[in-house]
Amino acid sequence: MPQRDVEISISKTGEVKVHMKGYKGKACTKLGAFLAEVVGKVKSRQFTSEYYEPEEKTAIRQEQKQGK
Amino acid sequence: MSAILILTPLIVGGGWTAISAAAAGAAVALGLTVRATAKEEITTAREEIAVKNSVEVEVKNSEVLENVATEQQIVLQGEGGVEVRVKRDARGRCVVCASGKGKTKAQLKAFAERFTERMTQCFVYNRVMTELKAKGFQVMSEDRAKDETVNIRVRRWEG
Repeated sequence: MPQRDVEISISKTGEVKVHMKGYKGKACTKLGAFLAEVVGKVKSRQFTSEYYEPEEKTAIRQEQKQGK
Repeated sequence: MSAILILTPLIVGGGWTAISAAAAGAAVALGLTVRATAKEEITTAREEIAVKNSVEVEVKNSEVLENVATEQQIVLQGEGGVEVRVKRDARGRCVVCASGKGKTKAQLKAFAERFTERMTQCFVYNRVMTELKAKGFQVMSEDRAKDETVNIRVRRWEG
């Protein structure tokens, strides 16, 4: 299961800095939009290289046991 | 890391209940105590304010409190006779009014602005924590820095 960390700093004036870790692609955008709606409006946005990596997909593994 | 967002707060949602909770949080942080919330006591407080210096500061980016009566206020008492009132003004905006005998307008304005900042911070904190917990995030750490910034780290495992 992937671990998602979010670091949030609320300044004394109420401005919020959100640092999302472990998110790739749309998952990051979705959480960012949610938090923007909760707090107010987006002042600035900065994407890092991880954002542009392919999103994780659930891998389904089927193990076949071979008979003795 | 994947993204960093800077968000500007809006004091929207939750109505008077959310504002009252934030005002109470700011009051505790700044050493104020609730003096009155009932209308009759506030009427007395208004009469007393007539002989004091008084300064009013609007809470930035606050919603119009259409469903809140103008009589709805919170009166807080601080050290040195400073009194802070959080209320809805005639235009429906949330305002913070500081008053006190023997205090200059500049002192009262500074106190009202400090209270407004802390109230905004409490409002944002309450909203963010409520919504993130509802989304299944767990608080891993939380602290307050010297510059009064609140730092929170939350985590969620996604399957």
